[in-house]
Amino acid sequence: MPRYLARCLAQLLVTAIGVVTITFFLMRAIPGDPALYMLGDFATADSVAALRAKLGLDRPVIEQYFLFMRRAATGDLGTSVVTGQAAMTEILNSVPWSISLAFWGMAIAVALGVPLGIVSASRQGTWVDSLVMVIALGGISFPVFWLGLVAILGLSHWAGLFPTLGASSAEGFWTAAHHLALPALVLGVSVAAYIARLTRSAMLEVLGQDYIRVARAMGVPERRILYRLALRNALVPILAVISVTFAWALGNAILVEVVFSRPGLGSTIMKAVLSRDYQLVQAGLLLLAGAVVLVNTVFDVLYGVVDPRLRSR
Amino acid sequence: MSITRKQAQSINRRRLLGAIGAGSAAAALPGWVGDVAAQPQAKQLRIRLGADISILDPAKIFQIENQSVAAHIYNGLVKYDAATNRIVPDLATSWTVSSDAKTYTFKLRNGITWHKNFGPFTADDVKFSFDRVIDPATGSAYRGQVADIIKVIEVPDPTTVRFVLSAPNAEFLHKVTAFNQGWIVSRKAVTEIGDKYNLNPIGTGPFMFSRWTAGSEVRLTANPDYFEGAPKVAEIVMRVIRDETAAAIALEKREIDIFFALQQPEVIERLRRTTGIKMLDRAASNTLNLVLNMTIKPLDDVRVRRAIAHAINRKALIDGYFRGTKYPADTVLTSAFPENTSDVPHYAYDPDRARALLKEAGVSGMRFDIATPALNPYDKLVVPIANDLNQVGIQTTIRVLERAAYGQARSSGNVQSCVTAVVGPPDPGTPLVTLFASKSFPPGLNTARYSGVDNLLASVATELDATKRKAIYGDILRKSMTDLPVVPLYADRLFMAHTDAVEGLVQNSMFTVQAYSVTLKAS
Repeated sequence: MPRYLARCLAQLLVTAIGVVTITFFLMRAIPGDPALYMLGDFATADSVAALRAKLGLDRPVIEQYFLFMRRAATGDLGTSVVTGQAAMTEILNSVPWSISLAFWGMAIAVALGVPLGIVSASRQGTWVDSLVMVIALGGISFPVFWLGLVAILGLSHWAGLFPTLGASSAEGFWTAAHHLALPALVLGVSVAAYIARLTRSAMLEVLGQDYIRVARAMGVPERRILYRLALRNALVPILAVISVTFAWALGNAILVEVVFSRPGLGSTIMKAVLSRDYQLVQAGLLLLAGAVVLVNTVFDVLYGVVDPRLRSR
Repeated sequence: MSITRKQAQSINRRRLLGAIGAGSAAAALPGWVGDVAAQPQAKQLRIRLGADISILDPAKIFQIENQSVAAHIYNGLVKYDAATNRIVPDLATSWTVSSDAKTYTFKLRNGITWHKNFGPFTADDVKFSFDRVIDPATGSAYRGQVADIIKVIEVPDPTTVRFVLSAPNAEFLHKVTAFNQGWIVSRKAVTEIGDKYNLNPIGTGPFMFSRWTAGSEVRLTANPDYFEGAPKVAEIVMRVIRDETAAAIALEKREIDIFFALQQPEVIERLRRTTGIKMLDRAASNTLNLVLNMTIKPLDDVRVRRAIAHAINRKALIDGYFRGTKYPADTVLTSAFPENTSDVPHYAYDPDRARALLKEAGVSGMRFDIATPALNPYDKLVVPIANDLNQVGIQTTIRVLERAAYGQARSSGNVQSCVTAVVGPPDPGTPLVTLFASKSFPPGLNTARYSGVDNLLASVATELDATKRKAIYGDILRKSMTDLPVVPLYADRLFMAHTDAVEGLVQNSMFTVQAYSVTLKAS
């Protein structure tokens, strides 16, 4: 275990340096300048030059990079050029919003997607299978912001079940849960479609194998075949896709965030890219990369739980 | 921030967690943990913000969301009356102008204190505010607005402040009016708060900044000691709702009370039909313009520029794309400016005339680039315009750039044309100087590189007689519409919707909202 953890930490460090380096140069390669952005329409030549000097943008990029890396090594990721706050603080403020949305969205996705996939696989070729797959195709094809608007119109505006705004300023668990329900549902449904399709194909692959045929021939009840014999083996690819989508949902829930007016990591990074807030983008991507490595590690351990053969690694 | 509130919060939180026994659920649902305890709802006014705030320091402030928050917090020496745009007293009760228009002396109100115990407001704060904008080390976006005009600021006594100008300036009051650099800050607060001032603003206005939750909301609490009387609502919550359709539904469901700076014609139509929703509208103080770069051939030929103006069907743009939610523009000013005139050359939609002018100029197969920021409606309205230009044989390409890249491209000086609006206070100098003065490039908005009205702009500043000044403005507008470095596309029109619980809201012409006058009916 300590060796495993050490390997994970090393992986995290390499990923972090890589992500920060790529982000650093990529951000500076795209056209646009934070000084021009902030000074806007009434900027004068001196004020742009003065602000660029203040932000250290007048130095060679490579010098800026080493300066940044030296500070980053001590944990200082700089301050947002727009708000003047510490970049990491600003990013961390939006993390709880993203985690709650991603967590509940994924919970709904798994709760919907896995059973639907199993049902669909066990009734392959019937109308149930076709119906589930058509719904899943719809979930994949319709963009999530469209699903969000339809949900607002249907469940919030007409049915009056949920608030329009996906975030509440009032304190209270139930209020917060009430506001989170609709965005989580929309994110969940769109991800559930992927999971249902993947579960179905993983199950079908397993169900076609010899040992299942033997079990059937021996008269093992169908329920036992499905849940004890097939599902366990199908779980590894399903877990893999869940781990990938979880990391994806953390940052890419931005469209859901926009439609439901929720703060979050995605919208914070987006805003930072648009205003060329270099420090904020770097801190945000660093955190996202860390989260991806972390989630992958957790799922690596989970693979071991579901598949003893992988435990020895 | 008061300690009592923090304590109340933590007690609430603990009691709540205990009551539902859901510590683990809370860990997975932490969004609400950082929020302030719910305030009494009846006296809370909720306003939609289209984007998050970023900077509330008047020296650096930009964007209507920041300006709308700041408008509740700060005062200026003088201010625009929201309904009439006349300049009226604010922190200054009266002022005198020397006969040569080089010295402006303001008498200030007595007994005003800064928010959150930052002491009394004095003339020294006024001096500090403007000196700070002028100081290059501040990096103010508005340095160019005042640096060359103000020679020195004197403080003879704590309630008197005197601006000595480097040249006579009849339009100086606009520079010290409550907007952007005109908002007065406290020397003590700016010095003590330092780098964190951007999001911890201290003013003298009707509301005090209370709390910002990034990406979600801004809370302002009423200033009971406000010099014009305490506000009638206890708290303002500005909610970030990016999508206009979602904001419209939130307004209909009474989750917000005021929705300002509406843009989408469909949303405007929808809310106009909704019972219980009132829609305000008025002419804005900005036009939307196509700026033609006169240094790039064949745009150096006035006939080509006029051909472009004749080729664009602006009426169809307003009636079709915008469904009548904009006004036609005769010049780069709008009817919100008393200085505006329609006694200027007009360029009616006439494709044949456009073709004839191009032929006369010896131009055929012309290629034309329009750069536009990726902002609604800029990036959409260029499509019908490009289509109109193609009809007369001008092969038009649209380049949609996101804001920062657009700013960079524009500053480079080699874009053929770009779509620009000068959104700001109803100061005629603002759009005219930024669009037409040769000093406004680079960087700046005079990407036309026009210099034809420099003399007139200089003489309007020194002309003390209001009637003569208006005549010079007329000359500037006529000359600019004759030379046509800039084709005005339409005059912006502002829409602001509110529920019938909101009373006394006055709409300004600046794209922002200020809700001091609002009372909330109990519903």
